[in-house]
Parts: sequence; structure tokens; C-alpha cells
Amino acid sequence: MHKLSRTNRDKLQQFVSITGASEKSALQALKASDWQIEAAFDVFYSQPQPKSNDPYSDMILAEGVSVLCSELQVEPQDIVTLVLSWHMNAATACEFSKEEFCGGLLALGIDSIGKLQEKLSFMRSELKDEQKFYEIYNFAFGWAKEKGQKSLALDTAIGMWQLLFAEREWPLVNHWCDFLQDRHNKAISKDTWAQLLEFARTVNPMLSNYDAEGAWPYLIDEFVEYLYDKSVVEK
Amino acid sequence: MSRQNVKPMTMDQGFELIDAAVTKLKRILEGKPEPAFGSHEYIENYTIVYNMCTQKPPDDLSQQLYDKYGGIFEDYDKHTMLPSIMEKHDEYMLRELSRMWDINKIMVRWLSHFFFYLDRYFITRRSLPSLTEVGMTCFRDHVYNNVHFNVKQVIIALIHKEREGQQIDSALLKNILDLFVQNGKGSMERYEDDFEKFFLQETASYYSRRSSSWILEDSCPEYMIKSEESLKKEKERVTHYLHSTTEPKLVEVVQTRLLVLVAKQLLEKESSGCSALLRDDKTDDLSRMYRLYHEIPKGLEPVAKAFRLHVTSEGNGLIKQAEDAATSGSVEEQVLVRKIIDLHDKYMAYVTDCFQNHTLFHKALKEAFEIFCNKKVAGSSSAELLATFCDNLFKKAGNDKSNDDSTIESTIDNVVKLLDYISDKDLFAEFYRKKQARRLLFGRFNDDHERSILTKLKGQFGGQFTSKMEGMVTDMQLAKDQQTGFEEHIKNGNTGKPKGVDFTVNVLTTGFWPSYKTSDLNLPLEMVNCIESFKAYYETKTKHRRLMWIYSLGICHLNGRFDPKPIELIVSTYQAAVLCAFNNTERLTYQELIEQLNLSHEDLVRVLHSLSCAKYKFLKKEPASKTISKTDSFEFNSKFTDKMRRIKVCIRLLCLFLQWMIAVEDVDKDRRYAIDASLVRIMKSRKVLPHQQLVSECVEQLSRMFKPDIKMIKKRIEDLISRDYLERDTENPNTFKYVA
Repeated sequence: MHKLSRTNRDKLQQFVSITGASEKSALQALKASDWQIEAAFDVFYSQPQPKSNDPYSDMILAEGVSVLCSELQVEPQDIVTLVLSWHMNAATACEFSKEEFCGGLLALGIDSIGKLQEKLSFMRSELKDEQKFYEIYNFAFGWAKEKGQKSLALDTAIGMWQLLFAEREWPLVNHWCDFLQDRHNKAISKDTWAQLLEFARTVNPMLSNYDAEGAWPYLIDEFVEYLYDKSVVEK
Repeated sequence: MSRQNVKPMTMDQGFELIDAAVTKLKRILEGKPEPAFGSHEYIENYTIVYNMCTQKPPDDLSQQLYDKYGGIFEDYDKHTMLPSIMEKHDEYMLRELSRMWDINKIMVRWLSHFFFYLDRYFITRRSLPSLTEVGMTCFRDHVYNNVHFNVKQVIIALIHKEREGQQIDSALLKNILDLFVQNGKGSMERYEDDFEKFFLQETASYYSRRSSSWILEDSCPEYMIKSEESLKKEKERVTHYLHSTTEPKLVEVVQTRLLVLVAKQLLEKESSGCSALLRDDKTDDLSRMYRLYHEIPKGLEPVAKAFRLHVTSEGNGLIKQAEDAATSGSVEEQVLVRKIIDLHDKYMAYVTDCFQNHTLFHKALKEAFEIFCNKKVAGSSSAELLATFCDNLFKKAGNDKSNDDSTIESTIDNVVKLLDYISDKDLFAEFYRKKQARRLLFGRFNDDHERSILTKLKGQFGGQFTSKMEGMVTDMQLAKDQQTGFEEHIKNGNTGKPKGVDFTVNVLTTGFWPSYKTSDLNLPLEMVNCIESFKAYYETKTKHRRLMWIYSLGICHLNGRFDPKPIELIVSTYQAAVLCAFNNTERLTYQELIEQLNLSHEDLVRVLHSLSCAKYKFLKKEPASKTISKTDSFEFNSKFTDKMRRIKVCIRLLCLFLQWMIAVEDVDKDRRYAIDASLVRIMKSRKVLPHQQLVSECVEQLSRMFKPDIKMIKKRIEDLISRDYLERDTENPNTFKYVA
């Protein structure tokens, strides 16, 4: 690395870590885009790539994501990464394809790390919006599960729920997680995931308006039984 | 006589003449000595009126005559009739009234004849009430209206007397009540308001009092007899003197007081109520109960309810009995099922005889049976018990000649009836099929009986219910033919004759029969030859079919050449394989056996145990402990003997509990498929449906075979959602949509 300013050197490092490109192509791309990172990505990706056997060459993977996070000064487990992924319509956690990443940034009107960092607080606030929370929550299922699996692994699900319900309080969330570990021990289906939010939204914690004859998924009915059993709620 | 010269009659003149006639009439009517009117008098009186009417105005006295006529009646009614009635009491009053009424009627007749000319022109011209009407109205206004209250009191008092057993003058009452009716002038108002209303009230309180005292003193049958009697008497009363329109109202009042208001107390009477009557076979009393309550709208409902409760408790009692009697968890199903069948026959007889086949009672019986027939008895479901019952019935039928065909047939009918009450019919089918398989394979069956029950089950529950079982029975038939063919084949020397070994094969169609596990048992050479020879024969019959040999179900007859005497041994194929291994060697260890025979450890242990540690020790075991271990060695027990010349030792390779578990699991699996299919079928046709309705329709569709568990349905719905057959409506998550 020669004759590069501190900032540019950092940007170069970032770029390399994120895209996995060679220093040479990184430098090329950054120079071509006047050291604007977002544009640089664009340039970089629009270049004809050397034929590579690596199907992930067009993607930002776990490593890249963690670099991104450190640049943004957030923890990788910070829920804001979920919101970001949602904006980008990312298919899987800890992975961004080129289209997803660039497309998302474009939509957000972001062309630098700094701007992205500024946008973070806005993204956090989006979680307080009822409708957006609903969309983000439902998005999270597909995002958090393993590729090719239909259901979400229990541990991941519990982690996600803890994260999500930290933003939007649900008094029964801990009981729910305990119940699952105690009695269920299997993956979570999409329907159950979606219906749980419905349950948290519409049924009050005393379960006074819970309709046992309703179309709640089996697991939620079991949860209610569990709450009665453990005397968390009076019947 | 010419009219021109005659002076018109004056009013006074005319009236004087009329009065005279009226006085005469009154005397006649009052029974005083007076000659009757002759015809010339009649004509004279008529003519007086005629003349007075036809005189030229102002001498036309029609109006005055009309008024006079009315006046005559008014006068007589007020001043003669009414007082004479009022001064009397009780029955005498009634008689006097009756007399006056008759007198009035005659007076009206006569006087209207005299005054007839008025009717012809004056009245019609002026649209006035006719002479008859005037006479009757006067009576009503001046006599009836003033006496009816007291008269009614008297009548009611008399009726009360009659109810208490005394004789009264029915004819008199009939007349008086007729009078009431007639004074209504065409409507029943007077009768109803002035008499009937009070009569019904009085009747109501009378029967209330009766009912209160009877219900305490009398037993149910006695009470019913008294009620029946009372109703009969009241109906007679109507024919004797009450107006026919009173009947339905009267009957209703009596029924309400005697039967409806006390129904609960009556039916639930301790030792004589409905329950007791049913228990003690009191058909007459029950028939009476039916008769009495049948006439009352909705009257039979409490009776049907009592019936249902009684039958349910009887049934529950039988179940409890069976539970208590069950030793070591095994229920004596023969006894229990027979008792339930008897119970059914007994109470069905009540329904058809005493209760006249009324639908309410059929329904009550059905509901009662459905309750206790679905109870578990000592952990066994009724479906299983019934299947076991059938199994024993058919197994015994072969042996026990006293069970003749018609008894078997009627028992089969009863079984089918009982099955109708059991909700888990598919569970029955599964157990029945498994047991049927064993019966068929081990030769303990009667083709006619097997087919008979299947036909009846098919008729009641449809072909799908019985298709596998029928397939199995047919297979046995085909197997027989197959075997004949095979033996022919051998006789003709077509293949290697299996060296003096008689060999029978049953070829089963896989889909019909329960699944059996195969094993890679190494058969002794003699048996291998048999297998090969049959295989060759079978190839000639059909290509493209693969034979899977189930050795676990085979039976062998071996000649045991023991030193003392030879004994024939009837053992399973596995046991035979083990024994034959000793044909070539005196001694074999466990390890050697397992290598030679290629059996699983569990199977070998079981077989060796049955041959060396059980009742008959064909093999000597070293060490001679009670259990088999892998280090044991075995020797042919040449010294073995028994007084029998033929010994049968068969073992079940799967313990009963496991068999049961497999059956229940299979049924569960089938149910899951059935629920799935039903849900998809419903959603495909309805496209959109709320959760509740989907569940209830699904339950209904499946109710013919089993009662689906709501939780299972919910789980299947969720499964279908994850498999993208259904989805939730985004607006309303309680509703599902079909995903095409």
C-alpha cells in the first residue's frame, strides 16, 4: 500500500474484507468511484469477474459481515443488522448477495459507511412502528433459518424471539422460551412463528381473551396449558 | 167480510184482546187448568194482529204491536220468571231455570205465531230483530244475565260432588249448560265466560290438591292408575253434559296438574319410579306411562330421559363389574359382551313394546349405549374387547357343537348392532383383522361364519370397511385350490418330490393381510427342498410375482424319535428348525446354533426356552438354569417321554403387548391419512372456511369410522399449511384458504 491517505487505506481494507477482492481490483474500483464505497462496490461487481469456482465470490459472507459490523460499530448480534437485512431483502442471515447489498443501499440512499452508520438509529426506530415490526418479524423467519430447511431450529428461534421481544415488550416471552425448551425441543414451523406474533399482539397476558376453540396452532394451545399447569395464569 | 165499512181497531181495543190471549197462554204454560188454544182462537189472534197492521195509517199499529210484543216478554221475564228462579237454591234453582227456559221457548213460539204478520212485512222492512230474537234477547237480558253467576256456582258445586263420588242429575246439567250455549246467540262466549272459565279453574285446583296428596302416598304405578282413571272420568263428563269444545281444554288442565307438574317427582320415585319399573320388567305400568305421557306435547321427554339415565347406569354397572372381575388386567370379554347384548335386547324390547317404537326412545337407547360402550374397561378399549369376543366366538364355533348356526347368526347380528355404538370402529377393524388372520392361518375357522359376519359388517358400514378382511377369506379359498394344484403337480412327478415330506402352502395377497416380518432363517435341507419345489410349481402358474416366505407363521409336525417311545411334535417352523439341527449332531452350543440358523438373538432365546426350559424338555440344557444365555449348550434329550403320543408346543413370536401396540399405531397412522384426506377434500370444495367449521365438518365426515381427536385435527391442519395445501387468511387468521 503506497501513498494512500489514512482514510483511503481504511476504505481499501474495508473493501477487501467485505468483497474478498484482491487489493489490486479493490484499488481499481475505489479509484474509479472516487473513493465512494458504495459506488466502488458497483464498479467492482460490474467488472467481468475472473471465472471463479467459488459460488460465493459475488457475496459478502460471515467474515465480511463481521467486518461491516465493526466498521459500523455495532455488535453482530445487534438487532439492527436484522433491520438492515430486511431493507436489503437478504435471503439468509450473515450473507449478502451483490444484488441484495447494492440494491438495499441504493434504496436507502446510502453511499458510504458513514451514512450507513447515521441511518442505524433510524432503523432502530423502525422497530417501534407496529406495521414495520410485523413485517420485520415475519421476514426474520425466512432469514434466520438454514438454507433448504423448512423450519427454524429451536435455538435460533429462541434467540430471535429474545431479540425481537426486547424491542417490543411481550411479558410472556420468557415463559414461552422456557416452555419450548421444556416441552417441545423441535424446530419451529413458519405458521407457528407467524401466529405467535398474533398471539402476543391480541391475547392479553392473563389469557382472559384467549379462545380455546380458535385456530391457534397446536403449540400455542400447549403453551396455554403449560401456563395453567405452572400456575402462571389462573384458569 | 168487507173492509170498507169496518171501523179501524184502536190500540186499546186490540191490546185488550191480546192481553187476554197472553194471559190464557201463561196459564197453560204454568200448568194451570186451562183449555188449550183451539184453531179458531189461533186464527182470531192472528187476525187481530193482521188487521191492526194492515189498517191504513194513521191506524197502522205495527210499531206499537212490535213494542207490545217486546213488552210482554220483558214483563213476564222480570216479574215472574226471574223472581221465581231467584227464590230457589241449589238444584232447585237449576230446575226452575230449566223450567222457565222451556216456558220461554214455548211462549216465543206461540206468540210469534200470533204476531207473525209483523215478521212478514214490518220487521223486514225496518230491518228489526225478528220476533224469535226479541223473545230470546229478553230472556237473556232479564233472566239469564241476572242468574248465571249463581247458577254457575251451583253447577260447579254439583260437579265437585260428582267427582267425590256422588250421583248427580246429568240431564239437568246438560240442559242448563245448553242454555248457556244458546244464550250466546251463535257464539260460545256466554258458555265460555260465564261457566267454562270458572269450571276449568276449579278443576285445576281440584286436581292440584289430589296430585299433591297422591304423589306423597302412592307409588308411581298407583298414581298413574289414578291419573288414567281421572282422565277417563273427565272425558265421560264431557259426553254426559259438558259441551264438546271443553274436552281438549279440560284434558289439558288435568294432564298438567296430574302429570306434567309432578313428572320429575313421579318418574324419579325411589322404589317405584321409571327406573324401578324398567328394572323389574313392569311392562304394563310402562305402557301406561307411555300412554299417559304420549298425549301431552313434549310429555315424553322426561320419560325418555329417565329411560336413558337408567340404561346408562345399568350399562355403567356392567362395565364396573367387568373391571372388578378382571384378574391381572385381563377382562373376561365373553361375559361382558354377552351381558351387554342381553341388556340391549331387554331394553330394545321395552322400546318396541311399551314405548311403541317411538323415535325418542330409540334415540335415548342409542345415546345411553354410546356412553358406556365407549368406556375403557381395565385399560382395554371396547373396540378391542368386541374383536376378541368375535375371535373367541368363531374359534369355539368349530369345536362346540352346541353353538348352532342360528345362535351364531343372531350373535353376529348383535355384534354388528353393538359396533354401531362404538365410536372407534376403525380400531375394531384393525384388531378384528389381526385376529382373523391368525384364525385363518391356523385353520380354526368356519368359512360360512367368516363370510356371514363380513357381509353384515359390509351392509352396515360399507365395502371399504371390510375389503381387506374379505380379501383374506378369499385368499384362503384360493390357497386351497392352489394347494390341490400343487399336489397334483407333485404327483405327476413334475418336480423333485420333497422326499416324503407333506407340505402345505398358503399364498397370501400382501395388501390384505397384516404385515409380518420375514427372516433369513436357514431351514433344514428337507424343508428347503419343499420350498424349492413349491417355488418351481408357482413359477409355472404365474410369473411376475415374488413370494415372501413368512416362516414365523409356519407349523411343523415332527416325529420325535425318543428312546422310550416316538412322539409326534407339533411345533412352529422356528422350533422345528432348531430341533432338526440336532438330527446331525448330538450337541450344539448357543453360538453354533445362532450361526447355523441365522436367527436373531431374541427369537433364538425364545425358541430355545420353549424347548428346554418349559413344560416339555425336548432338549437338555447345560447349565440347567431357567434362562437361556449365550454360553449355554444343548443336547437332544433322547430320554424324553410323556403319556401323550402327540404334543403341541407353539409359541407366539411377538408378545401380546407388542401386537397391541402395533395395531394401535397402525390405526393412528391410518387416521392421520384419513384426516388429511378429509381436510383437503373439504377445503377443495369450499375454498375458504373458518377454523371451527372446518373442524366440525371434518369430524362429521369421519364419524362413521372413528371419533377424531380435535388436537390431532389441528396438528394435521398445521401440517397441511406447511405442505402448502392450505394457508391462513391474512386478514383473519381464524380462516383458512385452499391453495390450488
